[in-house]
Amino acid sequence: MAWHLSVFVVNEPGKLEKITRVLSEAGLNIRALSMASTGEFGVVRVLVNDPRRGLEALRDRRFTVAMRKILVAQIDDAPGAMHGLLVTLAAARVNVEDCYGFVIEEGKKAAIVFEVEKFPEAEQALAGTGIRLLGDAEIYRL
Amino acid sequence: MYWEKELETLERPALRRLQSDRLSATLERAARTPFYRERLGTCRDLSQLPFTTKADLRAGFPYGFLAVPLDEVVRLHSSSGTTGNPTVIYHTRADIASWQDLVARCMYMAGMRSTDVFQNIMGYGLFTGGLGFHYGAEKLGAMTIPVGPGNSKRQIWFMREFKTTVMHILPSYALRLAAHVRELGLDPRRDFGVRMAFVGAEPHTEETRRRIEETWNLRAFNSYGLSEMCGPGVAFECPEQAGMHIWEDRFLVEIVDPDTGAPVPDGECGELVLTTLDREATPLVRYRTRDLTRLIPEPCPCGRTHRRIDRIRGRSDDMMIINGVNIFPMQVEQTLLRIPGIGSNYLIEIHEENFMDKLHVSVELAAEAFQGTLSQLEGLHGRVLTALREETGVTPVVKLLEAGSLPAPEGKAVRVIDRRTQSGKGC
Repeated sequence: MAWHLSVFVVNEPGKLEKITRVLSEAGLNIRALSMASTGEFGVVRVLVNDPRRGLEALRDRRFTVAMRKILVAQIDDAPGAMHGLLVTLAAARVNVEDCYGFVIEEGKKAAIVFEVEKFPEAEQALAGTGIRLLGDAEIYRL
Repeated sequence: MYWEKELETLERPALRRLQSDRLSATLERAARTPFYRERLGTCRDLSQLPFTTKADLRAGFPYGFLAVPLDEVVRLHSSSGTTGNPTVIYHTRADIASWQDLVARCMYMAGMRSTDVFQNIMGYGLFTGGLGFHYGAEKLGAMTIPVGPGNSKRQIWFMREFKTTVMHILPSYALRLAAHVRELGLDPRRDFGVRMAFVGAEPHTEETRRRIEETWNLRAFNSYGLSEMCGPGVAFECPEQAGMHIWEDRFLVEIVDPDTGAPVPDGECGELVLTTLDREATPLVRYRTRDLTRLIPEPCPCGRTHRRIDRIRGRSDDMMIINGVNIFPMQVEQTLLRIPGIGSNYLIEIHEENFMDKLHVSVELAAEAFQGTLSQLEGLHGRVLTALREETGVTPVVKLLEAGSLPAPEGKAVRVIDRRTQSGKGC
């Protein structure tokens, strides 16, 4: 099972910079980062190469942080690939709660990180569709 | 110019005799209540009697201060909120009649007559401000418009259609309402016939009063009251506008040092302590109002012999007044304690925005409760807002912060910061 970090932030200048500083000082590699906000406060999702260590580093610096389970799908970096993934999940009635992506290899491979409520169903739905779910080691190596 | 000339201009010695007679009757009535039966014992010397506090009233909930059989009670008024017991004041038919009469006396003194049209822009219900003035105005005989607070468009419509001449309004709202009038392309000085405003229920400066008068081209009179006594009507300004006559045929007035409880020399600032002199259902003896003021020793040129109290200068406790609503920090604290996921640390700030008070409450997310989703945070934020609104009656601005962002609660943490320019600064 793979994890990313979810950090509570109040919307103030410099807040994100503090998170990245702590992770950088801990020697962690940030593979992707996304943010959702209400305007007043929000949560920052960070995918790092060692979530456990990231969690501890942020907690030590008094951040309010949680680890959350994720699935990471590898898709082609091509038109329609993201759509194909979402069609598959929708057909299996899997609700995507959080989602962001990044390119692994320009024009070839991209990674899509998502949180879903129904993990086994999502995994089942994607099995045999040509969309590969990455293993934990692969994810943290990205 | 007097509602009851004989009473209002009663020579001081006669007034003192009246007080003494009424005090004896009050103490007799009080001795019938569970609370005072124990408290008073056989003592009938006022200066030897202990004070009554808001905490006593709460502890006496629900009937500890009731001096008559329940079937003689016709109404109750109560503080809002559910934190701790509310303070409840009961009224008999005679209490209501006496209160009505007292408010009519105040309004008449200021210059209101039965030919006036009175628009009551105050809250009705458990809050005494609305109903107190409502019945006073009817007693005086003026046509009363019980419009209540808010909805500026409707206020302006009633004012224009029915040619309102007197209004009862929060001082801050009087200024905001004028701004709405101008937005509609009207001039509050020229397009309205309001000649008099009664203002009270929240602290305001002399400058604000003058500004209200200037803005609307009217005369504004300060009003003082508290629900523990009856509500509005306890003290009121006469046309001299130099302090509020406190009705000494109805209330026995003391000013004490808030720390020691000892009387302060005449004319010096201290805490107002009141004893009801004619109330039947809920007689109160030496009640600590927590309001800071002073007695003006000089006689008033208007001829009334009842002494005047000065503008209220602040509170000797931590009660906050937000747009006329009384709130204690304890209510906020206990409300937050009941919400899982929220830390016990908090900060209250009171801001003034566009002549209106705004309550800001900063709370911390309990770090261990965080599940990592925005929807959890939004849900918590909403629960805090709803719970505080239900408890206090005002809608706060809630700021959800990370754990550890607020000052640590060690020692005497500052939990309340009043950023208003017009807050009472104390003696």
